[in-house]
Amino acid sequence: MAKKLKIYFICGAGLGSSLACQMVTEDVLNRLGLEEDLEHEAISSSPGLRTDIIVSAENFKTQFEKYELDSAIKMVYLHNIVDEKEIEAKLVPVIKELSN
Amino acid sequence: MGVIDFIIKNILTQAAITIALIAMLGLVLQRKSTGSVLTGTFKTLLGFQVLSAGSAIIVGSLTYFGKIFQHAFHLNGVVPSIEAINGQAMNTLGLGNEIAFTFLGIFIVNILIARFSPFKYIFLTGQALLWMATMTVVGGKIAGLGGMWTVLLGSIIGGIFAVAMPAAAQPFVRKITGNDAIALGHFCTIGYLVEAGTAYVFGERGENKKSVEDLKLPKSMEFLQDTYLSIAVIMVPLYMITAAFAGPKWAGSGTTNYIMNAFMQGIQFVVGVFVLLAGVRLLLGEIVPAFRGIAMKLVPNAKPALDCPVLFPYAPNSVILGFITTTIGTVIGMFLMPVFGLAVILPGMLTNFFAGGTAGIFGNVVGGRRGAIIGGIVHGLFITLLPALLVTALTSFGFVNASATDSDTIMAALMYAWIIGPILKAV
Repeated sequence: MAKKLKIYFICGAGLGSSLACQMVTEDVLNRLGLEEDLEHEAISSSPGLRTDIIVSAENFKTQFEKYELDSAIKMVYLHNIVDEKEIEAKLVPVIKELSN
Repeated sequence: MGVIDFIIKNILTQAAITIALIAMLGLVLQRKSTGSVLTGTFKTLLGFQVLSAGSAIIVGSLTYFGKIFQHAFHLNGVVPSIEAINGQAMNTLGLGNEIAFTFLGIFIVNILIARFSPFKYIFLTGQALLWMATMTVVGGKIAGLGGMWTVLLGSIIGGIFAVAMPAAAQPFVRKITGNDAIALGHFCTIGYLVEAGTAYVFGERGENKKSVEDLKLPKSMEFLQDTYLSIAVIMVPLYMITAAFAGPKWAGSGTTNYIMNAFMQGIQFVVGVFVLLAGVRLLLGEIVPAFRGIAMKLVPNAKPALDCPVLFPYAPNSVILGFITTTIGTVIGMFLMPVFGLAVILPGMLTNFFAGGTAGIFGNVVGGRRGAIIGGIVHGLFITLLPALLVTALTSFGFVNASATDSDTIMAALMYAWIIGPILKAV
């Protein structure tokens, strides 16, 4: 069995919307039979984060670009962070790519 | 009997244990593996203790600030921070256990209402529920209720708010997102409605309505989305300026220069909020998904009500404009409140950003640019007036130098102070 990927969900305070996004993603992954390691955090804590993928809302994009994150981390930006279809379309291909 | 007595006196009165057991119940009901139940329960327990540590840091910093503000301006400067209120209520005032049970009670009442009424909203913003539980418990205590009644009444009032607020916001949310898939679960909704109402009266209409989203705003404002940075940007200068007025006698400490001391104390405040919210994150990381899993099973067609930033990508400019106009309103309010004999309420940056930003989206969608600007300033005044009204009750109850934020939780507490309390005294 492949190693679980670490996926961080990031929002301003790391409390509400990142967790909401994480819960919807968990539903999507369960449906597809994928099991990864999901966590949520505040954007202040994202520099230095050790993770495979970061998922965040698109309004945070310019801010992430200012941080010098590990270039191996894949970024996924969402417009509607609780839309199952968008999450499936944007995140799942990244997971598949990294799992192979 | 000895065993039961021990359990009641030593275990069930420990709020950290109570809340960990609630999380455990949620995890067991979801039939999680033993390992997940154990780690989840432990994380929740840890979260509560981290929250307490953060609270102690905030109280230390606020005590210092209260002292220098008093000597600088001969006024009481109150910091509006629901985090500080929650921390103090949970720890210093020993209400943690009642808050934990009320939190659970609000979940249950929310599910019952959603199950048996046409309003299918399930409130999933954990920290907002925690703040609501805090304020209803504080309200109950101020009204002079006993422990069990505080929890019961708090659960019912909180549960009603948990359904009514998303329902009231939904017509606007539908307009903002263009569909009916998301509901807003954030207890600043009365403030949003105030902004929307103002924007309707004073804003642009029909053909003349121009959206804020068509403007180009400077990118440099985007750093404010970083919660801790935006608190620091205001709190640190506020501490330093106050210290400058207070002088070395009050603001200094040992051999450290007094301005430097104020700088470090300002940073300590941000540290406290950081630690406290890290605790809240641990505390709720297991409970909220468990609640969601259970609620979705029990309530057909449930609509999850989520934290306000889910709306931010739909209207990023309105968020920035809402933050700025609300802050202007809170600054005007800070000077205005003492004129009416109320306490000086300092601008609360956390709520200015999240509530102000969301209110800006409401203002823009109802009344365009002019609506968002005028509405934002009125919103800022409104969210300064509310904590000012609550200060006397909170201070006499033992809170140090802080008042609540989040309009709906204050409304709930004022309901206790102004309606329920007097009725109980009259009966």
